[in-house]
Amino acid sequence: MLSLQHISKYYQVGGNKNFVINDISLDVDEGEFVSIMGPSGSGKSTLLNIIGMLDDPSTGYHYFVDQPVHQMKEKQRSALYKQYIGFVFQAYHLIDELTVYENIETPLIYQDVKGSERKAMVADMLDRFNIVGKKDLFPAQLSGGQQQLVGIARALIAKPKLLLADEPTGNLNSKQGEEIMELFRKLNKEDGVTIIQVTHSEKNAEYGSRIINLLDGRVESSKKF
Amino acid sequence: MLKNYFKIAWRNILRHKGYSIINISGLSVGIAACLLIFVILQFELSFNTGFTNYKSLYHVATKQIGEDGTTYNPGVSVPALDALRIDFPQVKFAALNSSYGSQLTVPGNDPNNALNDKKFSEDVGVFFMEPQFFDIFHSDWLAGDKSALDQPNMVVIAQSTATKYFGNWKQAMGKTLKMDNVLTLRVAGIIGDAPDNSDFPLKVMVSYTTWKEHPKDYNYSHEWGSLSSNHQIFAELPQNMTAANMDKQLVRFTAKFAKDKTKVTRAHFLQPLSDMHFDTRFGNTIGDHSTSMATLRILGLIAVLIIVMASINFINLSTAQSVSRSKEVGIRKVLGSTRKQLISQVLGETTLIVVFSVAIAVAIAELALPYLKNIATVPDNIRLFNAGTMMFLALTTIAVIILSGIYPALVVSGFKPILAIKNKITAASVGGIPLRRALVVGQFFIAQLLIIGTLVAVKQMNYVNDADLGFNKSAVLILPGYTDSISLGKMQTFKQQLLQNPQVKSVSFTSDAPSSDNNWGSNFYYNNDMKGATFGVFMKFADADYFKTFGFKFAAGGGFDLSDTTRQVVVNETLVHKLGVKNAGDAIGKTFKLGGAKKWANIIGVVKDFKTNSLRDAVRPIVILTQKEYEGQAAVKIQTTSLSKTTAAVKALWEKTYPEYAYSGYFLDEKIAKFYEQENKLALVYKIFAGIAIFISCLGLYGLVSYMAVQRTKEVGVRKVLGASVANIVFMFSKEFLLLIGIAFLIAMPTAWYLMSQWLQNFAYRIPLTAGVFLLAIVGSMGIAWLTVSYKALKAALVNPVKSLKSE
Ligand SMILES: Nc1ncnc2c1ncn2[C@@H]1O[C@H](COP(=O)(O)OP(=O)(O)OP(=O)(O)O)[C@@H](O)[C@H]1O
Ligand SMILES: [Mg+2]
Repeated sequence: MLSLQHISKYYQVGGNKNFVINDISLDVDEGEFVSIMGPSGSGKSTLLNIIGMLDDPSTGYHYFVDQPVHQMKEKQRSALYKQYIGFVFQAYHLIDELTVYENIETPLIYQDVKGSERKAMVADMLDRFNIVGKKDLFPAQLSGGQQQLVGIARALIAKPKLLLADEPTGNLNSKQGEEIMELFRKLNKEDGVTIIQVTHSEKNAEYGSRIINLLDGRVESSKKF
Repeated sequence: MLKNYFKIAWRNILRHKGYSIINISGLSVGIAACLLIFVILQFELSFNTGFTNYKSLYHVATKQIGEDGTTYNPGVSVPALDALRIDFPQVKFAALNSSYGSQLTVPGNDPNNALNDKKFSEDVGVFFMEPQFFDIFHSDWLAGDKSALDQPNMVVIAQSTATKYFGNWKQAMGKTLKMDNVLTLRVAGIIGDAPDNSDFPLKVMVSYTTWKEHPKDYNYSHEWGSLSSNHQIFAELPQNMTAANMDKQLVRFTAKFAKDKTKVTRAHFLQPLSDMHFDTRFGNTIGDHSTSMATLRILGLIAVLIIVMASINFINLSTAQSVSRSKEVGIRKVLGSTRKQLISQVLGETTLIVVFSVAIAVAIAELALPYLKNIATVPDNIRLFNAGTMMFLALTTIAVIILSGIYPALVVSGFKPILAIKNKITAASVGGIPLRRALVVGQFFIAQLLIIGTLVAVKQMNYVNDADLGFNKSAVLILPGYTDSISLGKMQTFKQQLLQNPQVKSVSFTSDAPSSDNNWGSNFYYNNDMKGATFGVFMKFADADYFKTFGFKFAAGGGFDLSDTTRQVVVNETLVHKLGVKNAGDAIGKTFKLGGAKKWANIIGVVKDFKTNSLRDAVRPIVILTQKEYEGQAAVKIQTTSLSKTTAAVKALWEKTYPEYAYSGYFLDEKIAKFYEQENKLALVYKIFAGIAIFISCLGLYGLVSYMAVQRTKEVGVRKVLGASVANIVFMFSKEFLLLIGIAFLIAMPTAWYLMSQWLQNFAYRIPLTAGVFLLAIVGSMGIAWLTVSYKALKAALVNPVKSLKSE
């Protein structure tokens, strides 16, 4: 599905290059469920952003569904992203100006899904996450956990082939977290959605079929189950 | 999708209420101002276009080239009319002679009691007119036809005039109408009213032949040499003839008939009807309303500047504000929005705000419309809505959307999503700070230009209005009268009766007030020298009480003594100086003779110079002499304590003495103020629009500063913890703006200086452009800006630092 080869990302601090990602190579096949772990500041979010084509690596090669992302223009990347990827952000990143319903609906609008169809899909999603009652509220009126649920619902609405999740359960209680993990597993097993998640929780990481440990921008260990 | 955009746009407007209000109020005031200016321009520029054939219509005008330069006269001599018809058989000509003010009388039942008559004074719109006029100028005939004007003593009147005179225009046909108590006319035709945008306010049209039959009463002269601006000729050219072609032939035509022995060369030329309204070379049109293109251009320019200023606010605020939207934009991009879609979204918001503003602007303009006539010569019933204004509104809406929406849309849609999501977009990284600074400079440049313009215009007009005219104009009631023998005969008794009123200080009979737009001139001879002076003199006829009534001061000698006034003249200092006489006293006792006069008279007094015309013109050489037949108007000096009561008494006495005439007295100072009507209006226009400009630019500043205050809340908190005083903080906010205003001033000052010294050239008497005006402008604009800024800055500075830091 995707392949990173010798990817590095650094920031110029004074005269020094400050590496956040340091020469990482990584292949992820379709249908995998990968968990990325590591201490704070080790570059997990940065790596996920690069995989999701939101951030450019400083050097290295990046292939996605066999296409060379490092050679693409912004527009092509954005088209590719739209077609394949759903993203759950660590900081939720809901649009404050939109209601829960509208937030979940937005990706469909940009993918030119017809109005009636949209309605059905959003209703289904609201149902699945048990937030029907909140659909007309604005993000500021929700708790952190609720916002996270909306963020996940929004990432899944367009039925992505690759789900990137940056600490999707960070603000959920353990029961909610478990439910989300069960959902991810189901998506992975039944619908064949490839999932890459960042997590601090050993327990959640174990839902994955592979665990990658980052330290200072390098892959410290990687084990498959 | 579209619905979605507008929904978001609407929410954004509500969410950022403060900015929305600033944007909408700035835009709506600006657009309203522009709309009103457009209405004025549309009206002025439409003049005479009501005639379907106006493109082939021309006014035959006269140019006189003399030693003093070229002068223009809208008139053509009477015999030229027949000659033109012979020399240009393919051209249709029509002549009219306008009366500059006449009295129309509808006789009452009792022929022996003039008090029952209905009397009407008409300043404009009374003509002696050839029937051919209606061949080239189309009118709607409600009754009768143009052949009515073939016969003497026939009159055609306009519908509303007929209604005014006779109660109902349908009853006017065949009725009798007296004009100036000289002509007895029969109503033989009714035409529809002339539109407001016509330079021909046709009200009362007396047949041209009637004029020929009363040469004395109405100055009819069949001399090639005599030229009166009242007698005007119009022409319709055939399709195959151009004006340039005709002008060429007119040169030959004029040369052929010029038997004038004076040093003045005369030439006729065609003035297109479409230029007539804007041609200021001729002084005024027969409709008494001409407008200079320069004034219209200034108005148009002001409109454009105001719109630009309002749009600048919009750009500044939306780019500044876009920072706080960066997250939303970033997420949208991640969710799959293309740049195009984001641009349309931002433009959608702009569209909503602009359309909203236009709606409010229309409401403001509608409310302000009745006051429009205070700044422009528009009819009372002018309408806001017509095809033109709708088109204007549509185009303005689109222009403003593009002008103020495109740049912010490009900025916002260009955000890199990762930066936006990481909240790394700051005011600095958006860029546009130099642009925003440039725009603020631009705004204040415009505002200061208008402020300086206003200050200069207002100062100049105050100077003009309060200028020492060299005589006392206050509380002098002018009673225009008539010089027929009956009226002249009643003069002395009238004067005596007036003087019995203790409130009346003095009464003088005269041809003319000291300051007037009358220019009755002649050549003259001085000191028994039969060669004649090289320049002309302007005449004012008056009795001995003239000097007392107007409080003239003498440089030498004095006024007429009562015993022998016919052999005495009084001249002014300018005349003496132009003759090369150094000492005014040396002119006393010298002889003086007007061109055409038989006897020499003596100069018995030299009055100190007084303003003979408007202050636009220099003082003219003047002679004041006595000639009873010309002294038709009475000047009555009244005690200022009971003006209205005395005026009423004078009016009553006048009506009793001259029952057959309508009373039309006025105060001289009001008439003099009318000289400057256009300038005073323009000064008012400047005041209003400078106010609007200041309002809009301060709105913009306010918006920017409030935005800055929000952005820098944390910084302010930290600085305060570190020991900054409130004054430090306020200074931090205001120093940049004060600097920008300073830069704007450096550009505005020379520009304004150049423009306003040009404008002042219109006046022979003008104020100097002193540093004070400029100082006031810079201090004023900085002061206003500082007040605007410091309100917000103070608020930011006074917040408890613990509070502002906690929220982070
Ligand atoms: N613009 C930048 N300039 C310099 N350094 C940066 C910049 N952005 C991120 N970093 C650095 O990159 C490193 C990795 O950040 P990243 O957000 O990927 O960490 P993370 O592993 O996701 O941490 P966490 O578990 O806290 O989310 C951090 O040390 C951070 O300081
Ligand atoms: Mg992270």
